[in-house]
Amino acid sequence: MKQEIITIRTKETAARIQASEVAAVRVKDITKKGVRVYRDGLIGVAGTVGDTPEDVLLEQAAQNLQAGIKYPYPLTQNLRDHRCLNEAPMSSQELLEQAESVLNTLRKDYPDFSFSESIASTEQIVQMRNSEGLDLEYRDAHFALMLMLKEKATANLFDGAVFCLTRSFDQEKFWSFNRPFLEAYRNKVELPEGDVLPVFMWDHDVLLYFLARQLHGERFAKGSSLFSGKLGEQLFSEKVTIDVNRDPALRPMTFFDTEGVVLPGNRLPVIENGRLAAVLTDKRTAETYGLAHTGAASGDYDDPPTIDGPLGSLLAFRADSQNIAGVLQGRPAILALLCSGGDFTADGSFATPVQVSFLFDGERIVGKLPEFAVRSHITKMLGEDYIGTFEDTNLYFGELVRQVQGYYMTIVR
Amino acid sequence: MFIFPQGLYVDVRLEESETTEIRFKQRTLQGQKVRRIKGALIRVFDGQRWYYSSTTDLENLQAQIDSLAQMAAPNPGISEHPLVREFEVNRETLLRYQQKSVGDVPLEEKKALLEKILRKITDPAVVNHTSYYVDNRTVKSFYSSLGADLTFDRQICGMRFALDIVFGEKRDQMVVSKAATTFDELRGFKEFFLEEMAKDVAYVRDAEPVVPGEYQVLLSPEATGVFTHESFGHKSESDFMVGDETMKAEWALGKRIGRDLLTIIDDSSETGSGYTPFDDEGTRGRKTEIISAGILTGRLHSTATAVALGEEPTGNARAVSFEFEPIVRMTTTYIDRGDRPLKDILAEMEEGIFVDTIKHGSGMSTFTLAPARAYKIENGKITKPLRISVITGNVFTTLQEVDALSQEFRLGSFVGGGCGKMEQYPLPVGFGGPYTRVRKLQVQ
Repeated sequence: MKQEIITIRTKETAARIQASEVAAVRVKDITKKGVRVYRDGLIGVAGTVGDTPEDVLLEQAAQNLQAGIKYPYPLTQNLRDHRCLNEAPMSSQELLEQAESVLNTLRKDYPDFSFSESIASTEQIVQMRNSEGLDLEYRDAHFALMLMLKEKATANLFDGAVFCLTRSFDQEKFWSFNRPFLEAYRNKVELPEGDVLPVFMWDHDVLLYFLARQLHGERFAKGSSLFSGKLGEQLFSEKVTIDVNRDPALRPMTFFDTEGVVLPGNRLPVIENGRLAAVLTDKRTAETYGLAHTGAASGDYDDPPTIDGPLGSLLAFRADSQNIAGVLQGRPAILALLCSGGDFTADGSFATPVQVSFLFDGERIVGKLPEFAVRSHITKMLGEDYIGTFEDTNLYFGELVRQVQGYYMTIVR
Repeated sequence: MFIFPQGLYVDVRLEESETTEIRFKQRTLQGQKVRRIKGALIRVFDGQRWYYSSTTDLENLQAQIDSLAQMAAPNPGISEHPLVREFEVNRETLLRYQQKSVGDVPLEEKKALLEKILRKITDPAVVNHTSYYVDNRTVKSFYSSLGADLTFDRQICGMRFALDIVFGEKRDQMVVSKAATTFDELRGFKEFFLEEMAKDVAYVRDAEPVVPGEYQVLLSPEATGVFTHESFGHKSESDFMVGDETMKAEWALGKRIGRDLLTIIDDSSETGSGYTPFDDEGTRGRKTEIISAGILTGRLHSTATAVALGEEPTGNARAVSFEFEPIVRMTTTYIDRGDRPLKDILAEMEEGIFVDTIKHGSGMSTFTLAPARAYKIENGKITKPLRISVITGNVFTTLQEVDALSQEFRLGSFVGGGCGKMEQYPLPVGFGGPYTRVRKLQVQ
């Protein structure tokens, strides 16, 4: 009987912030373990949170074989790959010192705002091993400052956010961006004229999750994706390349999928220069539908591998453009900070309210805009209205949030 | 049971949960697991700051308490602290689901129930489907240095069907989900699931894009539930108000928020997803009228927010699991039933939109509803299906636009998803209400 074990250990210290003060400190140290056994083309699983002995889990997984869940695919084997992305995780003490220091400055220099939520340091160790020689380990640690900003003069739940996601927190860099950014919150400006304006977004998760649904290998094969039958076709602007990207240098995530697959060079294009090059598959989907295997297996630590998961987090655009100001050539643009609740319809129409945004000249954040909404369509956003995906901009939300993406969008005032 | 350090307030919340999940891809079993988790969240308060520890090391809870106490500064006057004086000290065992535990139902019965329904999915337009059975029973114990000693449980079981539906170039993924608190109750939902799936198939076949604009909108009980939750429910969570004079002035009790017909309630005793007999700091759950006949009459509190605002705790301090501290959250939140038949309300609508089911919603200053199924209303009748990205409204003004509520009333529970507030997602909540007419909302 072949065996496979996944262990996830998460250690966290979080300063919980209320009204710009540390109201609480939370420490967490939790280990989750999943065990899989394979016999006669079947898979059995078991899992625990905490410290259940491995032999007990193996016995439970062996009993789970009776469910008859088929998994006749070869296990990933003879691969050892250990990676540590952060050799010097921030200690609890340093975290609290950094938090107090940031909050002191916020209280002193920005008394018209109130800040809440958290400043946290998280360490994660993920191991995946099997009886066939697979031995993968991902160690990482990151610092996450996520503060909701409330203008004391308003009755909104909140009016914006200040955030930073990085492996190494550099206060000087943080303040050199956030001082003018916080000043921009104080400068209320009007939306520029025009029905269609350039809109830049740092968070394009809604777009990635919509794309992931269309790139889902099974949906593609069954005809229920917008992209079904279009393999090899030009879908978007030639500038657009989207990868299954498991490079942990870009964001804190494992470099392997839940079948232990490591992509060569950590990435594989699914949209290449606007053309549909591949879809998202695990071993089962690739074999069942005769599709290329793209290492996109998902599932929880105690699940059999599956293609049904939050696949949007696997996708990443390649940076294709530089110098936003050069592209704008003096035209005003919008930097959308918080767009909550919007969505795509099944045919690709997109709309979202833009709750927090700023007037932006490509380099400088000028002032805060009133709320409005935007409208577009997937083929326009990544086609004729696509401006580009930028890195190395003057914006700084931490080393792990590097991209800004721009599109021309219809403004709904 | 524990030795609580002097000069500190301490509480310990132990959670023991058992979750079953069965997953089919079409008629092939792809997942079946029973997950058992035991964990604890310890809180220590020294009068200035809280210290929390989340752990699965239940053998060493005393050591964890002592370790947190080392971080705190003992305070001889802790028992006189206004917050500590306000904590309820309840001692009770309330195991409502012990005799009807979903954990006692054989796995094969659960699987058979799911298979019985998925075998009925035969429409050729449904090209693929994924079906889930999920249940959970969680037993919580709560002990505090003041003497609280509680043991209580909550339970939910449900099914969820994700259908990929294709008619030529028209395609969509539709989801049907419904939950009950006992397995026997869940058995009775078969027809509901099949009827909803049939509506989804017809919707995808016939839906056309909406013409964006401002519309009069009629919300189903399910959509009313999400509307209530997002448009006002989050505003009633009082942690947003602590230390904020502008918020206190804007949301002063006694202020008119809506018309006389509007009453909004949060009731933690309601059976279903939001059932919370005691909250996660040991306060007994209760029914809170947030808006009564259009007037703001209450809000949702933890003990800390109640003390800060000079009001009474409401039993709304909830955490998604032992990994997190309790914060102010809703339980089962709904608009109270109206006094008019649905048919009369509908007959008055010359043009508008009926929102039947919802994919998701959000609740900042602009709240959003993303409809799954929506239809045009023409001359008092629900007519063509419409594809809508998002419906939006302003939390400050929209409740004034509610101008009709039906006698027909429904509360619902579901599995898959829940309420998210910052890092804590998904929290099970219940919602529903009557059919609700809103005079104008932005539709895109």
